[in-house]
Amino acid sequence: MQNSLKVAKWELKRNLKNKTFVIGLFITPAIFILFFFLGSLFSDSDDTDTAENMTVYINEDIGFFDEIESINKEQDFGWDLQTTDTPQSEITEVDEPYTAYLFINEHSLEENRIATYTSEEADPLFPGQLQALTVPLQVIKAEASGLSQQEINQLMEPISFVEGTNQGEGGSPSSIEENSLFDLDNPWETMIPGVFAGIIMLSITFTGMAIFQSASQEKKDKIAEIILSSLTPSELMQGKIIGYFMLGLIQVAVFIGILLPFAIWQTDIPILENLFVPRTIFFVLIALLSYLMFASIFVGVGATMSDVSSAGNLQGLVMMLPFLQFVVIGPVISNPDGIVATVSTYIPFTAPLTLLIRLTLLDSWPWIEVIISVAVIVLSIYVFMKLAGKIFKVGILLYGKNATPKEIWKWIRM
Amino acid sequence: MNTLLTVANLKKSFKDKEALKGISFEVYRGEIMAILGPNGAGKSTTIRNIMGIMYPDSGEIHFHQQSGKGIPKSKIGYLPEERGLYKDVKVMDILLYLADLKDYPLDKAKERIFMYLKKFDLEGKENTSVEELSKGMSQKVQFIGSILHEPELLILDEPFSGLDPVSQEVFKEEIASLAANGTAILLSSHQMNLVEQMCDRLFMIQHGEKVIYGTLDDVKKQYANFKCVLHGENPPALLEKIPEVDRIEYSGNRSILHLPKGIIPHQWLKQLPNELDVQELHINRISLHEIFIDIATDKHLVSQEGGS
Repeated sequence: MQNSLKVAKWELKRNLKNKTFVIGLFITPAIFILFFFLGSLFSDSDDTDTAENMTVYINEDIGFFDEIESINKEQDFGWDLQTTDTPQSEITEVDEPYTAYLFINEHSLEENRIATYTSEEADPLFPGQLQALTVPLQVIKAEASGLSQQEINQLMEPISFVEGTNQGEGGSPSSIEENSLFDLDNPWETMIPGVFAGIIMLSITFTGMAIFQSASQEKKDKIAEIILSSLTPSELMQGKIIGYFMLGLIQVAVFIGILLPFAIWQTDIPILENLFVPRTIFFVLIALLSYLMFASIFVGVGATMSDVSSAGNLQGLVMMLPFLQFVVIGPVISNPDGIVATVSTYIPFTAPLTLLIRLTLLDSWPWIEVIISVAVIVLSIYVFMKLAGKIFKVGILLYGKNATPKEIWKWIRM
Repeated sequence: MNTLLTVANLKKSFKDKEALKGISFEVYRGEIMAILGPNGAGKSTTIRNIMGIMYPDSGEIHFHQQSGKGIPKSKIGYLPEERGLYKDVKVMDILLYLADLKDYPLDKAKERIFMYLKKFDLEGKENTSVEELSKGMSQKVQFIGSILHEPELLILDEPFSGLDPVSQEVFKEEIASLAANGTAILLSSHQMNLVEQMCDRLFMIQHGEKVIYGTLDDVKKQYANFKCVLHGENPPALLEKIPEVDRIEYSGNRSILHLPKGIIPHQWLKQLPNELDVQELHINRISLHEIFIDIATDKHLVSQEGGS
């Protein structure tokens, strides 16, 4: 182990002295920040085109204006609210752009139809924003029909469809309800640890791809035999895995160290409050397992290549393995309980990211699937480490040529 | 003799080919022992087995005066035949890394690096990147890396390949001085003249088997017969009359008479015919190089050269 740490330290030092690595270390977060500013620049310019605030004329006789005003303020609609006496009959069309007329009275409430006239040129969000008025209007209607406040509250409570509500009629529904309401209140609680672990996972996995080059570099520079006169192939291999893991963590630390203060400054997302929670530890553990799995594959296959630029088909395919995860991201996000998501949870190469996304999005965790998935990943790490050890031991000394799949198979069977 | 390494009945096969067929030898403290043989004879395989880079099918490799089992890697210096260095690092960094891997104190290593860089005419190159070094300079740095940690056993596989004569001399002197200070040296080389100048003992291997093993003097006595080089206008018929001659090589006025084993030179000289035209005459033993060629060709090895 001591020798492995020496190798790890060397790999760390060698990379940290490498200008390309150091530049890359800072350029990634810099690009993120640049894109953020570019994004906000474009959205600002969009805003100037469309964000002319709506002027909304309200003609009402049920004392609802104050309520609208407070909703407008709370939800930051930016409406310029005006009362008007103009009768509905006088409005056929609205010529003035970004203008709307609402006619709210008892009659319209009874019919559940609020007459609305909007100019042709209007904020595209306006129809959606109007929906925020429905609930308060329904409350007024309910009050008018003589219902008590308690009855109204019960009536207005949203009905949610929750999986697995038939497991006993006792206390469980209320706890599920609490959970879902809690999640609705604070979506960041799962999102922040998920995104945090996702960044760590991708960052260290891609840093891990450098192991590929590092292993084949030993052969290209013909130094493997000199190094192996001081330590065993497993120690060299482990040292590389540990070294690049540490490099990955440095990369993550720099990345997060730059982006986190920036994100806290530029957004209202409650990052810190939701970051230091137990589930972050579990998510980061998944990220770590993901690294170990890909690193063992990379170090083994890297040792079969004399030069990264001359990678054969097999080696090229292996390099693409981490990208396989991105193929399933779409289906997993759109349906975290769907068949693609479930199957991907059990495939070693897609399991870590799929698991991370699913656990981030799902309100209640499918524990059996989680346990099986983690077991699949751990078992894969064990198998890949064993195979990598066998391949590395022979491959690292095979100077000057790429190993063929047939040769690799022979080494594995040795 | 203070034995440092014993190799006993070492066997190793690759696929159906037996690379080592039970070879045995010893290396003593303070001696330079050469391991010789044509390409593909099994030299590098033997060395890799000693270093634990390969594992023998059977046989024993024993490091004397070592407590515990296994290979005392920190006490062995190794310069493999196929060698290089990381390209994108500084000379000092790579040498310190190699010393660190041998558990050698880094401050002491640093002192010795400066000392050796000066000795090998590389003074001031400690902060130079390896890729900026010439091939010869890089070879010197590799050599420094193998001896930096004061090894008790130094294994050098083709240390002179690719070196100019001046660098060869520097290496030769340093190897001799290490041996004089008690380091056991196992050296594999194809430069027979250098081996002849440096080695105390030699082990010649062919097809994975021992052919010659002993001190250089013994080997010469045993294998190196005398030869007589004669300059003069002598017809072949006259030369063929000379008794106790194995074979004759002609080259213009120069003839080489190969004498059989056990000949006593001054007695043989008395038998030369009076009519012989002698412009110049030398009698000496054939060189290690010639022994090597002789043995290799007798076994029809030269035609099978290739691979290692």
